[in-house]
Amino acid sequence: MPSLAEIVIGIVQSLFIISFSPLMVGIMNKTKARTQKRIGSSVFQPYYDIIKLVRKDEVVSDQSSWIFRSSPWINFVAIGTAAFFIPIFLSYSPFGLVGDILLVIGLFALARFFTMLAGLDVSSSFGGFGSSREMMMSMLLEPALFLTIFVVSLTYGGSNISGIVTTSADSSLISHPQLIFAMIAMFVIILGETGRLPFGNSATHLELTMIHEATVLEYSGKSLALIEWSSAIKQLILLSLIINIFVPWGISSSVSVPLLTTGLLLFIVKVSLLAVSIAFLESRVARWRLFRLPDLIAMAIASSMIGVVFYYL
Amino acid sequence: MIFSGAILLIATFGIVTRRGFADWLGAYRYQSIVLAAVTALIAYVTGIWEIYIAAGLTLVIKSIIIPKVLLYVTRNLEIEFKVETNPYVSLRASVIISAFLVALSYFLTQQIPFKSDPIVSTYLPISIALFLIGLFVIVNRRSALNQVVGLLIIENGLFLFTLTLTHGVSLIIEMGIFADILVGIIISSILLLRISRTFDSLDVGKLQNLRDD
Repeated sequence: MPSLAEIVIGIVQSLFIISFSPLMVGIMNKTKARTQKRIGSSVFQPYYDIIKLVRKDEVVSDQSSWIFRSSPWINFVAIGTAAFFIPIFLSYSPFGLVGDILLVIGLFALARFFTMLAGLDVSSSFGGFGSSREMMMSMLLEPALFLTIFVVSLTYGGSNISGIVTTSADSSLISHPQLIFAMIAMFVIILGETGRLPFGNSATHLELTMIHEATVLEYSGKSLALIEWSSAIKQLILLSLIINIFVPWGISSSVSVPLLTTGLLLFIVKVSLLAVSIAFLESRVARWRLFRLPDLIAMAIASSMIGVVFYYL
Repeated sequence: MIFSGAILLIATFGIVTRRGFADWLGAYRYQSIVLAAVTALIAYVTGIWEIYIAAGLTLVIKSIIIPKVLLYVTRNLEIEFKVETNPYVSLRASVIISAFLVALSYFLTQQIPFKSDPIVSTYLPISIALFLIGLFVIVNRRSALNQVVGLLIIENGLFLFTLTLTHGVSLIIEMGIFADILVGIIISSILLLRISRTFDSLDVGKLQNLRDD
């Protein structure tokens, strides 16, 4: 039974993910703007966007059903629930008893399922092709993600995220070479799951470049705010997973104020570095043709497969 | 140590996934740099100073001279000869097959009782994997120019193979092998130039037909 302090810290961790995530999007946008020799909007712009959208009226097509209206809420609740299982600066989450990493992936799948349904629901052609692309990507990405998780769970014994992070905080990456392969695979998968550049360009609304954006094109007002926010939370969850599984240096393993503060500061530094490097990568590559994307995912799968081979060495 | 082997494998996969000539040449350059680092690591572990020279030679010849020579010799070739547009097995399947080849090489070397020596047990399966992947790349690619990369991967694998099993053959032989590779690359690229002039194509599938004009 977790103590009261642990429960409080667990709630603080999940609220931290939920409130910090738009800033991450802001940092990425700012970095991309600077690499393109633009000044770019402020790093707090995503917060202003969300506030602006919440104040606005919402337009809903009269052809749509309850799926269209409830899907942003299901999205936000599913991804917000997943945030409760992620350790940030304490190496275990007190809610980790309830669910493991497979549940997190399942919650993501639920959110994505309803996004796709909502895209089909308004019966616009954009929603249709967005849903079909999203379905293709998720069909390819999920086996790769499961294979990667498989490597990590084999190495650290168990699929519970708190267990994985606690064990990995004590051991070193150098002694487990299979984790580099898992890390490469995980990085590619994160780019795919969040619709980053070789997969899709989240900055534009051009017919050719949209994957995720096409399914949510019909939303406005509060619903759009919820959807943008939940995709930001999903991105931060995935980034903190890659950080806390593979480079958990400095994460606090017990409840004490100085350790928790250093853990929090180190996490912010690490996640910002990762976000900036992803933004740099995004400004270096062009978007790939849709049917070339399976090549990249095949690389991720092959990489995790070699990880499994290295584990059984 | 196994960590460096993992990085070498990743560099090899970088070559397998590249389509264009200049792309895989760059990836080959990275692989050679990693190979030189691995060689230096072996030299450090065994303490034989001659291997450091081999590492330096690898760095200079394979990552600087061979790419330069290849680029210089093929500078007049047209771009469609240089890009692998239609391999026999698609690139995404060939990545998966390469992963299976790595698994196969680990399975094969499990049968050999070399467990006591850490260098052999680390790098022998990787060198055999490089050999198998290079062979697969040669068989898979259609354009004769891009088959050269398979040859280069095999050569890197063989270099690692001899190095792990013998802990450095004598320096004279190493120099001979390097000179051999350099000359081999030049001859093969000149041959490719002649083929492209005669047949107007570098597709090896088309070389089977006899021409009687």
